[in-house]
Order: sequence, then C-alpha cells, then structure tokens
Amino acid sequence: MDLETVKDRAGPRAFSPADDLPQEYREAATRMIEFHANSEIMGAYLERPFIRQAPSIDRKLAFSAKVQDEIGHGQLLYRAAESLGVKSREQMLADLANGDGKFLNCFHYPMESWVETPMIAFFVDGAAMRRQATLRRTSWEPYAHAMDKVCFEEGFHVKHGEDILQELMTGSRKERQLTQEAFEKWWPRIIQFFGPTDDDSTHHDFAASVGLKQKSNDELRNAFLDQYIPKARNYGLEIPDEPRIRERDDGTYEVEEGDLDWDEFFAIAKNEYEPGRDQIGGRRAAQEAVQWVRETIDETIARGHAPRAAD
Amino acid sequence: MSSPLENPTDFSARERRALETLVKRLGDDEFVLAERYTEWQVRAPSLESDLALANNAQDELGHARLWYDVLADLDVDERDLVYERDPADFRHSTLVELPFAEGDWADAVLRSYLYDAAEDLRLEALEDSAYPPIADRVGKIRSEEEYHLEHARNWLERLAEGEEGRDRLQDALDRLFPHALTLFESATPPVETAIPTREASGSNEIERNTDETSGDRSDADAAAAVEGDIVDFGLRTATLEELGEEWLSIVVPFLESLDLDVPIDESTIGEGVEYAVTVESLPTQLGRDGTHTDAWFDLYDDLTHTYRELERSDAAKIREDPDR
Repeated sequence: MDLETVKDRAGPRAFSPADDLPQEYREAATRMIEFHANSEIMGAYLERPFIRQAPSIDRKLAFSAKVQDEIGHGQLLYRAAESLGVKSREQMLADLANGDGKFLNCFHYPMESWVETPMIAFFVDGAAMRRQATLRRTSWEPYAHAMDKVCFEEGFHVKHGEDILQELMTGSRKERQLTQEAFEKWWPRIIQFFGPTDDDSTHHDFAASVGLKQKSNDELRNAFLDQYIPKARNYGLEIPDEPRIRERDDGTYEVEEGDLDWDEFFAIAKNEYEPGRDQIGGRRAAQEAVQWVRETIDETIARGHAPRAAD
Repeated sequence: MSSPLENPTDFSARERRALETLVKRLGDDEFVLAERYTEWQVRAPSLESDLALANNAQDELGHARLWYDVLADLDVDERDLVYERDPADFRHSTLVELPFAEGDWADAVLRSYLYDAAEDLRLEALEDSAYPPIADRVGKIRSEEEYHLEHARNWLERLAEGEEGRDRLQDALDRLFPHALTLFESATPPVETAIPTREASGSNEIERNTDETSGDRSDADAAAAVEGDIVDFGLRTATLEELGEEWLSIVVPFLESLDLDVPIDESTIGEGVEYAVTVESLPTQLGRDGTHTDAWFDLYDDLTHTYRELERSDAAKIREDPDR
C-alpha cells in the first residue's frame, strides 16, 4: 500500500498487521505508541512510592492496583507497537533505560508529597483520558484495541484521584493549603501536557493525515479546560493567575502560551531536564539490578528447558 | 475447648486478649509483607513478573484488611492498628520486615516461599476456629495463598537451575531462615489490649506490672500463657510447635532438592520429632515479642509519613465492610 492509499483509507481501526503498510506509517505509529507505552512505565515509576505513603490501607491497595494497571498498559502498548514490525519490546525498554525513549512531560517531574498525587491521578490522568478516548478511533487497530482496556481502567484511576482530591480539599486547613500549593506547581505542566499549539507541533500533520491522531492539541486542551476548570473550582482550588486563560465568546479557552515555560518543555522533550534524567537513571539502575534474573531465565531457555509459569 | 465464641461483647478479658494477639500476628504479617512486596512494583525483572508480584502484594494487603477487620468488633479500628500504633507493638515475624537489597529477586521469591508455606499450614489450623469470623475468612485467603506458593516454588526452581541464581538463593536462605523460624514464636500480648472498658484494660496492666520476675521473663510468660489460651479456646486448632515442625518437614526437603543447604541444626532431628525449632537457631529480634530490626522502624516511619504530615486522625475507608 502506498502512502496515498493509506491516506485515502485512513479511518478508525482501518489498518492491522495483515496490511502491507509503508515504512513512514509504521515508523510514525511506532513512535506514537512507544511514547505512550513509555509514559505508562514512567508514570508508574513516579507513583510507586505513594503506595507506601498512602494514608490508609484502602488507598494503599488502590494505589498498588493503579501502578500495576499502568505496567499492564505498558505491556499492552508495547505489544501494539511491536506489531508494526519496526522495534521489539526489548529495544524500546532498552531505549527507555538509556535515555533515548521519550515520554510525557508530567512524568519528568519528581513527586514529593501525597498532596501531589491527585495532580497526576486526577488532572494528568483526566487529561490523558481525553486523548485516549479519541485514540479508540485511531487507524492502527491493535492500538485502538489496547485503548479499550486502557480507557476502562483509567476511568477508575481518575475516580480514585478525584476522591483523594476531595478528601484533601475537605480536610484540615493545612491539607487544603498544601493541596493548593501543589496545584499551582502542577497546573502549568498539566496545560503543557497537550503540547504546543498546533502551529508548533511537528508530528501532528502527518499523524492526522493517516488517521493515527484524531484530534489536535488545541482541541484536546480546550476540551480538558472546559471540563476541569469548573471541577477544580468546585473542589475549592483557585486557578493560578498564570498562565493567563481567556474564555472566548464561544465558550472555548485561549491559553496565553507566552506565560508557559517552553524552554523547560522542550528540554524535557529531549530528555535533558535534570530531575527527569534522575528518574530515567533511577529506573535504569533498578532494571540493571535484576539483569541477572533475565540472564538466568534466558540460559534456562537456551538449555532447552521450557520456562515454567511465564511470570 | 470452651464453648464457641460468638459474641465479642461477652468475651472475658482472657478471651479478648487471646483473640487480639492471634489476629494481630496474622494481620501484621500480611500487612508488613505486602509493604515489602510493593517495593518490587516497577522494579521486577520483567513486566510480567511485575504484574504477578503486584497481585501478590494486593492479595496480602487484602488479607491484612480482612484480619484487622476482625478486631473492628472489639472497637479497634485501622487508625489504632496501623497509623497510631507504637511500632514496637507490632507482632509480625521479622521475616517479613527485612529490607530487600536492590535487585535481590532471590530474596523476594525465597521469602515468599518460606512465608507462604507457613501461611498454608496456619490457615489450615484456622479453618475450624471456634471464632466464626476467623473461620469464615480462611477459604478466600487460602485459595489466593495457594497460588502464591505455586508461584514462589516455580521461581525457586527456575533460579536454582543457574549457578548465579543458586548462589544468590543460598545467601538469601542463610540470611532469611533464622527469621522464618520466628513465624512460630509465641507472641507477647499487646500492651493495650482491646478491652473496651478502661477498667478491664487497667487490670491487665496490673497483671503485667505486678509480676515479680524481670520484664523479659514476664513477657515470655505472658506470651506462653496467651498462646496456650489461643489453642485452649479453639481459636487455632494446632500449636505453634506443631506448625513449626510440619513446616520444617516440608520446606527442608524441598530446599535440599534444589541443592541448597538449609542452615538447621541437625542435632534437633531426634526420635519421634523429625525437626524442631530451637532457641539457638533464632535471630536476636523475634518480632513476635515486639523486638524488631531497625529496618522495621524505618519502614514504619515511611508508611505513616503522610498520615503525620497531614495531621490526620482517621484512615479513609473506600471499600465496603467485608462482612456485609
């Protein structure tokens, strides 16, 4: 299939591994799904310490399950990416470890306190939900299929994140104050989650033309702000003065992009933001520490012993 | 065995103390082990093993929650049991509190095996507990623990096939085995027992404090007495000694079949009794008596950090009461 045919036929779940697709499509789809899979893993890495720090057993259970879900999503997505025949899961995981793999901006920032958890579990996951919901109509069928399960589980995460936010914002004065401070720290990052305006987005045109991407950055950001500004206010959070956000006559929002730190954003996009590099390095160290287990299993298989209980 | 224990409000002080001591050793083991397991999330050798380990951690947390909930009928809630309890008043075995060295997957699977093999036996001895809320919980917990045991055995067999894996398992075994034996130590009853009225609680204090022997001695006596009660009241149908012997008769041959040397004193293998847990083979800290390794106090600090930081006075419940 040549590129023009791909563009003509591009529609929801239009292409599967049975199709002979041009390299350009395969590479664009791999890049997009790999980014998504990496983000699941690095999000889980960021949140894991809060399984322990969760202030009740039920919250601890929910957090452990959430982190497990993210790893499961990573597993599903790497499989969907692998099915394009460009890169293996091992290559993608190795790239993530060595700092070549890219992932969401929000997961480059360290999290220090429980009050920050709803910033990820409610706002970032809520933002991700919006994007993921549109990806159920992406043209690469295995990706769309993975999104069905991911969206279903993310719904629970966002609910749990909202529940934590509500608990914090109806708690003591100190809790409310710390949560507001965390919100102010995370709000610009959350807005940047959707990336730069469409004019500045490099990959959008092609990804949209072959049906991989269903909505533009601006459309997604608008839809998110439309829903989450009232939600934030409803829980008693004050929207920070910057970045300035103007409501247009038609009810959509315009973000004053100059108020956001794009140097930081693009440093993050290149994995050059120092705290993010620490997280990449921390995960790499943990993975290197269990390299011996993977080698032991590989040797067992090489000696002709079938692996028992694959997990 | 005394008459079946039905209504906690009719319990004598001794019955309450026995129940609370038993349930705390059960719940604390599961809770602390789960805490340690969660350290492997996002750090396991593969995405698949990560998912499996996370499952086990959540199972153990769920079991801790089930056991702790038994004490809700005695007016002891999660806040008292976890977030406001003196860490020195936890009764888990030191096996479950030890930290993992980074990447020491051999420790994780061996610890799981040693623990789950004991767990299986102890659940069997709780199946016919005279206290129905305990017996009712066994079925669900046991089915999950059987899977854990299978999972741990499979991993042990795989790791033991390679030289590095076997060396690492041997190191872990030498380190963990004495701590695993503390699973079968009797537990010192909690300082503040779950007796709802202050007077009754006070009488226990007096009982402890008027003991003429040293503190250690009185603690050991109290532990032996309450352990006797646990069996006499039919809360558990086997003694710790019986459980320990049975456990040894299962784990020692299995570990030896993997070419591992089990650090057990062969002289204890005598007539009639194949294996026995001896005082000499135990570590300095037993856990069950409230003595713990430093790692536990650090872990406790970490897991109560948010609760203290936010000056909480309650632990949020988001799930339904399991008895409903």
